[in-house]
Amino acid sequence: MSALGKVVRSGVGRRRVQSFVMALTTLAAVTSSVLSLGLLTVVQSPFDHAFAKRDAAHLAVQFDGAKATAAQAAATAHAAGVTEAAGPYPITTALDSVIGPDCTESIGPGMTFANTAAPPVTVTTRPNLTAGTGLDQIVLDQGAWPTGPNQIVLNNWPSDCLGKSVVFSALPGKPSFKVVGFANSLTDTATGWTTADGFARLTGAGAKTDAQMLYRFAAAGTDARIAADRQAVAAAAPAGSVEGAQSYLTARTQATGNAKSFVPFLIVFGVLGLFLSVLIIAIVVSGAVVSGIRRIGILKSLGFTPGQVARAYAAQALIPATIGVVGGTVFGNLLAVPVLKGTSNDLGAGGATIPVWVSLLVPLGTLAIVALTAMIPALRAGRLPAVQTLVVGRAPRAERGRAAQRLAARLPLPRSISLGLAQPFARPARTALVGAAVLFGAVSVTFAMGLETGFSKFQDQRGAGFNAASLIVVPTSEDPEQGGPPGGMYGPNDPRTPHLDAAKVSAALASVPGTKAAFGWGDSGASVVGAPTGDMTTVDTVSGDFSWTGMELISGRWYSGPGEAVISDRLATAMGTHVGDAVTVVQEGEPLTLKIVGVAFDTHDSGRSVLVDSATFAAAGLTPRIDQFNVELASGVSGPDWAASAAVALSPLHADVDSNQSGNASNVVVVMSALVATLSLMLLAVAALGVLNTVVQDTRERIHDLGIFKALGMTPRQTVAMVLTSVALTGLIAGLIGVPIGTALEKATLTPMGNAVGMHLPPSVTDTYSLGLVLPLLAGGVVIALLGALLPAGWAARSRTATALRTE
Amino acid sequence: MIDLREATKKYDDGPPALAGVTLSVAAGECLAVLGHSGSGKSTLLNLIAGLDRPSSGTVTVNGTRVDRLGEAGSAKYRRASIGMIFQFFNLLDDLTVLDNVLVPAQLAGMGKAEAKRRSAELLGSLGIDRHAKAYPQRLSGGQRQRVAVARALMNRPALLLADEPTGALDSHSAEDVRRLLLDLNAEGQTILLVTHDVALAASTAHRTIELVDGAVARDVVNDAARGDASLTTPANAAVTGPAGAVR
Repeated sequence: MSALGKVVRSGVGRRRVQSFVMALTTLAAVTSSVLSLGLLTVVQSPFDHAFAKRDAAHLAVQFDGAKATAAQAAATAHAAGVTEAAGPYPITTALDSVIGPDCTESIGPGMTFANTAAPPVTVTTRPNLTAGTGLDQIVLDQGAWPTGPNQIVLNNWPSDCLGKSVVFSALPGKPSFKVVGFANSLTDTATGWTTADGFARLTGAGAKTDAQMLYRFAAAGTDARIAADRQAVAAAAPAGSVEGAQSYLTARTQATGNAKSFVPFLIVFGVLGLFLSVLIIAIVVSGAVVSGIRRIGILKSLGFTPGQVARAYAAQALIPATIGVVGGTVFGNLLAVPVLKGTSNDLGAGGATIPVWVSLLVPLGTLAIVALTAMIPALRAGRLPAVQTLVVGRAPRAERGRAAQRLAARLPLPRSISLGLAQPFARPARTALVGAAVLFGAVSVTFAMGLETGFSKFQDQRGAGFNAASLIVVPTSEDPEQGGPPGGMYGPNDPRTPHLDAAKVSAALASVPGTKAAFGWGDSGASVVGAPTGDMTTVDTVSGDFSWTGMELISGRWYSGPGEAVISDRLATAMGTHVGDAVTVVQEGEPLTLKIVGVAFDTHDSGRSVLVDSATFAAAGLTPRIDQFNVELASGVSGPDWAASAAVALSPLHADVDSNQSGNASNVVVVMSALVATLSLMLLAVAALGVLNTVVQDTRERIHDLGIFKALGMTPRQTVAMVLTSVALTGLIAGLIGVPIGTALEKATLTPMGNAVGMHLPPSVTDTYSLGLVLPLLAGGVVIALLGALLPAGWAARSRTATALRTE
Repeated sequence: MIDLREATKKYDDGPPALAGVTLSVAAGECLAVLGHSGSGKSTLLNLIAGLDRPSSGTVTVNGTRVDRLGEAGSAKYRRASIGMIFQFFNLLDDLTVLDNVLVPAQLAGMGKAEAKRRSAELLGSLGIDRHAKAYPQRLSGGQRQRVAVARALMNRPALLLADEPTGALDSHSAEDVRRLLLDLNAEGQTILLVTHDVALAASTAHRTIELVDGAVARDVVNDAARGDASLTTPANAAVTGPAGAVR
C-alpha cells in the first residue's frame, strides 16, 4: 500500500465514529433519493412513453345520444383549445355481463366460471380499430381482433375464458359474444371492442347508444386545464349533452397512484438527507483538519505535497461516503420492490425495479457533492504551511465569547451551567454546525411525526363510514353444496344473489336490546356513466341514518331529498365532478340522473362510489339493493350476547350476524409508515451523531480546560452538566426553528400524497399537529442535542485530569 | 497532613512510576520534591492531589484516604483540601482574573458574598487587585502565577501543591513567587513543592526529598538559611539518609 493509502486508512480507522456517521447519512440520503427518483421514473415514464407512442387522448367525452347527434358531437372537434380529435364513436356504457355457460374451466373445487358475474363492459366500435394509427390506439394483448358480429375483444376478463362467450345479462334477449381477444386502451376509453355489426346487435337488443369523442388539447398538463378543456367542449355541444368525460390524468393516477404517493415525502427525505450529508461531511473533514494540524505538519515534513495532503483528507470522507452510497443504492432498490408491487404493467414498459441509470446517477451525483464538500477543508489542509502547523499544533484560539462568559458568570446559576451556557459563543462557527445538525434532525422528526399522525388518522378514517360497525348483518349464506349460490359469484342484479329486506331487517334490529344504531347499504348493481373504467365503481343504495359512522364530507352536504346523491371524493376527482353537477347511473339499462350535493371522504371498497338513498332509487323505478346492515352496539353490550338474541329475530329474514372484517389498515400506508419511520430514525441518528462528532471535537480541543476545572474540584456530574448545557441552548433554538419548517414540509407533502391517489384528504386527517404533539417537538431540538452530547460529556467527565493538564 | 504508605504506581508493563514510597509531611511544613524528568515527581503529586490512584499502598491527606475516593469524591476532596499551582499557570483564558479566582468557590457552592469578599482579600493581599477585570493573557508570568495562587487559596485548602511554580518565569518573577510561597508557609500553609530546581527547593522548603526512578533516594532537612538563600547557589542542604530515615 502506498504512503498516501496508509495515511487514508489510518485516518478512517482513527475516526470510526465519524466514518460511521458519514456512511449512515449518505446511506439515508441515497436510499431516499434512489427510491423517490426511481419511483417517479418507473411509474410515470412508461405511461408518458406509451401515451406518446399510442397517441392517447387527453380527454374522452361521452355525449348522450338522445341529446346530441353524431354531427353535433363531431363539431366539438373545433372547440377552443382542441388540437386533435377523433370520433364520434358509438359507445354503450357499463353493460352488465356474466361469463357464458361454455366456460367450464374451474375456479375452485366444484365451481366453474360458467354463469358467474363479470365486470360491467363499456363497448365501442371504431372503423380503424386495427389500424394502429390515430388517437387512442388500442393494443391487442392476446388473441385476435373481432371480425364478425358475434365477436368481441375485452379488457378485463378471465384468461381461462378466452374463446368462450360473454353474456350481456341485463339486455333483453341476453345477447352473447365470443371473446376472441384481450386488448386495452391506455386511458381506459372503453373495455370492450366489437365490429360495427356487433355493436348493432347490442343496440338492437336495447343497449343505449351514446357518442364518444376523443381529444388532444394545446394545454392539458393539470386537472384544472383539463377541466377548462372539458368546459370548452361542453360549450360547443348541445346543453346537457355531455354525460361523462375521462381525463388521461385520471388514468395516469390509476396506473401510478400508489407508487407516486410515496414520491412527495421521499423527495423531502432525500433533500434533507443530502443537506445532512453535506453538513456532516463538512463537520467531519474540517474537524479532522483542525484537530490534525500537527499531523498535517508531520506529513508535509515527510515530503507529502499539498495535493497529496488534500487527497488524503478528502479520501477519508469519500471512503465511508462510498460505503453509504453503495448501501443506499442497494437499500433503495430493495425497498422499491414492495412499493412497486402491484403497479400496473399494462403500460408495456413498467417494471418492479428501478432503472439502472437512476442507480448510477444518484450515487455518482451524491459522491460528487460529497467530494466537493470534502475538498474545501481538504484543500485548506493542503495549503497549511508545514512550519506553522508543527509549531502551533492546534488551531489558534480566537478571543471570542468573553462577553458571554462575563454575563453568564453573573447569572444565578450553578457555575458548571453558566460555563456551559457561554461556551457556544467562543466558537460560533462550530455552534452553527451543531445548530444546523439539530435543525435538520428537528425538521426530520417534526416532518415524520406529522406524517405518521396523518397516516394514523387516515387509517382511522378507513374504519369510519361504511367500514364502521360493531357487528354486521348479511344475507344468510347458503351452502353451494346444498344447491345455494356460491358467495360473490354473481352480480348484484343476478336473481341468484341474495339481498336483505331493508325494512324488515331494520325493524328487527330496532327490536333487539343493545342496538344503538344501524343502517343498511348495498351495491345496487348500477353503473356510473362516464366513470373511469380502470377501477370498480359502485352505486350504493343506503337505507337509514349513517351519520354515526363518522364519514366526512369534503364539500357540499348530505343528500336530503329525492334525486340527490353524494359522490366519493376519489370518484369525483376521477370524473371531474363537483357539487352541483349531475351524474347518470344506469341499472339494468334504466338510467337515473342524480344531482351531486356532496363529496364524501369515503374509503370503503376502492373508494369510488355514489351514495344514494334507497328511496330515490325506488321512486325512480329502480331497485335498491341492501346487502349489509352496519350495527353499532350500545356501550357495555356484549357482541356474542347481542348476536345470539339478534339471531332469533334475523333468522326468519334470512339474515345472519357476522363480525366486521372491513376497515382494515391500508397496506400501502403501512409500508409508507414503516419507510417514514426508518428514514426519519436514520436522519435523527445522523443529526445526533453530527452533534456528537462536533462535541467530541470541541471536548478534545477543550480537554486542557476540562483538566483545569477538574483540578479545581469540578465533579463528573458538574462536568457532564457543563458539556450538556453547552449544546442545550443551541438545541433549543434549532428546535424552535426546525418545528415550523418541519410542519410546513408536512403540510406541503401530505396533501400531494393524497392527491397522487386521487384523494382530497379531509381536515380530520391533515390536522396533524395538536398542541400535545407540538410542545414535545419544540423540546425535540434540545433532546437531539443532549443525546448527541451525552457520550462526549461522559467521556469528558471520565477523562484523566492529570493527562488533560499535560495536554497543550 | 500527608501520609503515604508503600505507595506504588505502575503504568502498563513498564517499571513503576512510583515504587513503594513512604512519606509523611506535617501540617505547616513545606516539603520540596526534587527529581529529574521521569523520576516520579508528577506521579507523586497526582496521587496526593487525588488526580490518580496508586496501584498499591495508601495515600492519606488531612485524614482522608485519597486512594479510596471515587471521581466525585476526589473532586470534592480537591475543592475542600487542595490548592494547586502549575508551571504554566493553567488559567482559563476566556475568564477574567476575578472569574478565574472565583471558579473553585463557585464549584464548591460558596455563598456569593463570601466568595466576593474572599477573592477581594486574596487579590489585594497578592497585589493583583487592579488586574481583576483583565484577562490572563494580558498579564506577566509572575502576575499570572499570583492569580493561580489566589485561585488555589480561594477555598482555604489545607494543602497547597505547587508543580514547578517558577519553571516558566524569569528570575525576577521566580523570586517573587518564591517569596510568596515562603510567606504563605510562614502563615501556616502546608506546601508540597515539586521542582527540579535544587536552589528553589533548598531556599523555600523545610525539607527536601529527591526521587530517583520512582523511589525516595534522599530526604534532607534544609538549614535555617531558608528564605535568605540565593536561588542561584546550591542549597545548604544536609543529606540525612534514605527515605524515611529522618522523620
